[in-house]
Amino acid sequence: MPNTAMKKKVLLMGKSGSGKTSMRSIIFANYIARDTRRLGATIDVEHSHVRFLGNLVLNLWDCGGQDTFMENYFTSQRDNIFRNVEVLIYVFDVESRELEKDMHYYQSCLEAILQNAPDAKIFCLVHKMDLVQEDQRDLIFKEREEDLRRLSRPLECACFRTSIWDETLYKAWSSIVYQLIPNVQQLEMNLRNFAQIIEADEVLLFERATFLVISHYQCKEQRDVHRFEKISNIIKQFKLSCSKLAASFQSMEVRNSNFAAFIDIFTSNTYVMVVMSDPSIPSAATLINIRNARKHFEKLERVDGPKHSLLMR
Amino acid sequence: MANMDSDSRHLLIPEGDHEINPGPMNIQFDSSDIRSKRPFYIEPTNIVSVNDVIQRVSDHASAMNKRIHYYSRLTAPADRALIAPDHVVPAPEECYVYSPLGSAYKLQCYTEGYGKNTSLVTIFMIWNTMLGTSILSIPWGIKQAGFTTGMCVIMLMGLLTLYCCYRVVKSRSMISSVDTTTWEYPDVCRYYFGSFGQWSSLLFSLVSLIGAMIVYWVLMSNFLFNTGKFIFNFIHHINDTDSIPSTNDSNPVICPSARSGGHPDNSSVIFYASNSELQQFEKWWNKSKTVPFYLIGLLLPLLNFKSPSFFSKFNILGTVSVLYLIFLVTWKAIRLGFHLEFHWFMPTEFFVPEIRFQFPQLTGVLTLAFFIHNCIITLLKNNKNQENNVRDLSIAYMLVTLTYLYIGVLVFASFPSPPLSKDCIEQNFLDNFPSSDILSFIARIFLLFQMMTVYPLLGYLARVQLLGHVFGDVYPSIFHVLIFNLFIVGAGVIMACFYPNIGGIIRYSGAACGLAFVFIYPSLIYIISLHQEDRLTWPKLIFHVFIIILGLANLIVQFFM
Repeated sequence: MPNTAMKKKVLLMGKSGSGKTSMRSIIFANYIARDTRRLGATIDVEHSHVRFLGNLVLNLWDCGGQDTFMENYFTSQRDNIFRNVEVLIYVFDVESRELEKDMHYYQSCLEAILQNAPDAKIFCLVHKMDLVQEDQRDLIFKEREEDLRRLSRPLECACFRTSIWDETLYKAWSSIVYQLIPNVQQLEMNLRNFAQIIEADEVLLFERATFLVISHYQCKEQRDVHRFEKISNIIKQFKLSCSKLAASFQSMEVRNSNFAAFIDIFTSNTYVMVVMSDPSIPSAATLINIRNARKHFEKLERVDGPKHSLLMR
Repeated sequence: MANMDSDSRHLLIPEGDHEINPGPMNIQFDSSDIRSKRPFYIEPTNIVSVNDVIQRVSDHASAMNKRIHYYSRLTAPADRALIAPDHVVPAPEECYVYSPLGSAYKLQCYTEGYGKNTSLVTIFMIWNTMLGTSILSIPWGIKQAGFTTGMCVIMLMGLLTLYCCYRVVKSRSMISSVDTTTWEYPDVCRYYFGSFGQWSSLLFSLVSLIGAMIVYWVLMSNFLFNTGKFIFNFIHHINDTDSIPSTNDSNPVICPSARSGGHPDNSSVIFYASNSELQQFEKWWNKSKTVPFYLIGLLLPLLNFKSPSFFSKFNILGTVSVLYLIFLVTWKAIRLGFHLEFHWFMPTEFFVPEIRFQFPQLTGVLTLAFFIHNCIITLLKNNKNQENNVRDLSIAYMLVTLTYLYIGVLVFASFPSPPLSKDCIEQNFLDNFPSSDILSFIARIFLLFQMMTVYPLLGYLARVQLLGHVFGDVYPSIFHVLIFNLFIVGAGVIMACFYPNIGGIIRYSGAACGLAFVFIYPSLIYIISLHQEDRLTWPKLIFHVFIIILGLANLIVQFFM
């Protein structure tokens, strides 16, 4: 079947300079080897090896750049680019002064989507919101969201406002990933059961490549609302350090007299983090529990497997 | 698991095209961007009990810190792409350093560039920098322009130069596309006019510096001469009553130029046939023939220093000199009283008319007197509250105008006119006091010392600008520097010997360098930036073109006076 042979794509598109390369670098912990304020556009198909959520491949495309070469290349390759697209993430620079043009290019992408992959999910990110004054942000975002919703009909698009300098980028991508997982409610229920059985304070499920939080359960109010992004950044930074030593990160245990936290591989696409505040429970017990839960959750994935191509191996 | 291997494999390959690996990524070379070195806190570790005394940072700041930490690992150190912009990082006052033992300290010293001067300090620094030796020529300038005209011209020039200074300060903010935080005014000129802008601003800056250095040399010769004469007369108890017309009371005022019909003459003709010692002294201690050369021995070595930062410690002498001059002028005015008569157009034997057509000489002097445009950006950069920049600048200008008015008016008004004509006011008003006068002797000593400490600084600035631009290196070799210094010193000596009219030197160099920095560049750049933003209106265009024409006229008319 052609669907299983070909990889499903996640398109990250937007005008040149809107922040896509930085975004990818931050979310996927890629080292940017060159200055992102370059003048050339991105021709990014074959070089992209970024995979997440199983079989999804991330492709970056500059859309609507000044370069006529890029324009022609883009138009001639359009069908190729938009075939097999599972998700379209379109990035808008909130500071852009050419709103008409931006919308025009967005619409042409939507047309291509309608032709080639009408079932694709569409997300719009209004990016660089930190450059807007705080009291204006909600207003400006609401305006943009309405315009985008209107323009996207008959397709449905979900809009987020993002900036790499606060937690909004992480939250937006977490929401996107959350919506891409078909059985996420069931996952959450199972996670809650698991947490209650092992008497954990909090259990988090991360996507493997990006450490975006897919779902979590907490049994009591936690103080720090930014903890998900912080953990994600810490682990990604640690992964970068590991890669310098040609090592790869597998699991971690952090413990002191107040708590014990375990980060471990869970299923083929996820990591789990378990936080226990009862230090009297030995690590071995929790690790055994995690290992058993792993088998259960893998079965869950496989059960829903054939129907939902996303989590399929 | 195979999946894990492929997972880890993708991490080992740098993403993007397979460019040259920048090397082991943990070698950090020095990023010139100080923002990448902004301090961040170390999280409190191992806190077993929450101690109320320990400062805790907000979750938001802690998350931001982690973010910045992580982003810094994603790019090369020289890459500016993921460096936190100013508006997302907490202000320096909100940064804490956590020691691993759990306590927190507020940062005491900030990275350079953060303003730490209060408004008062900034105003004082601007006032101090602007008040220079042109203060000595202001009374002469008022005399040349006429009393009423003089006062009006001083106030109007103050306002005009203030407006142009305001334009200089605002010029950086109109450039939105580039980061201008380290720019000075020549950089702005280069941005708008290319390399022509850069070297022309260098040229005019050099004109002002070298002009100032020549004036300094002339004045230093003058003061050294008078000091030497005073000391000699004091030691040998000579009462110096030469044939120069002067007032006959306890506060003598002399008119040195009356003898030779208006041309300041630096040779004193004294005949004391019986005193050969005095003759010898007069031969070896001559204002225009010998003293300028003695200065070479003192100052040329100082000019060759690589870094004159030692001399900037004596900056306070400048302020002391100005304050002493104010005291001196006030004291003399009290002693001499006011002698003013108002004749509007016709000169009389003792008085000058109120309105004279030589007022451009005053505007030339004032262009240099109010000149600070080439370094105002640097001075205002260290202001703590940047939003008060314009206010502080205006206050500083007002204070400078008041100082000039005070000294100029008092000297002019108190000049004893019945015996002497107002026309006698010298280009350096201290010359109107005989060398035996104690108060002006002290003033001359102060000014002599102050100038001797500022002279190497000016030389350093000129050298850095010229040699740095031409040779790329601010100290190419001792020979280049020596030749440059000899040139400057030679110019000073020649002027001191043959044309020691500081009023003339000041007005020519002032009008010339003011043409560029005060009149043309600020207005032209403003017109261009408005035009680029399509905000240029006819009134603004006409007004600024008028300013440019004024500047040109200012320079041209100096040659006709």
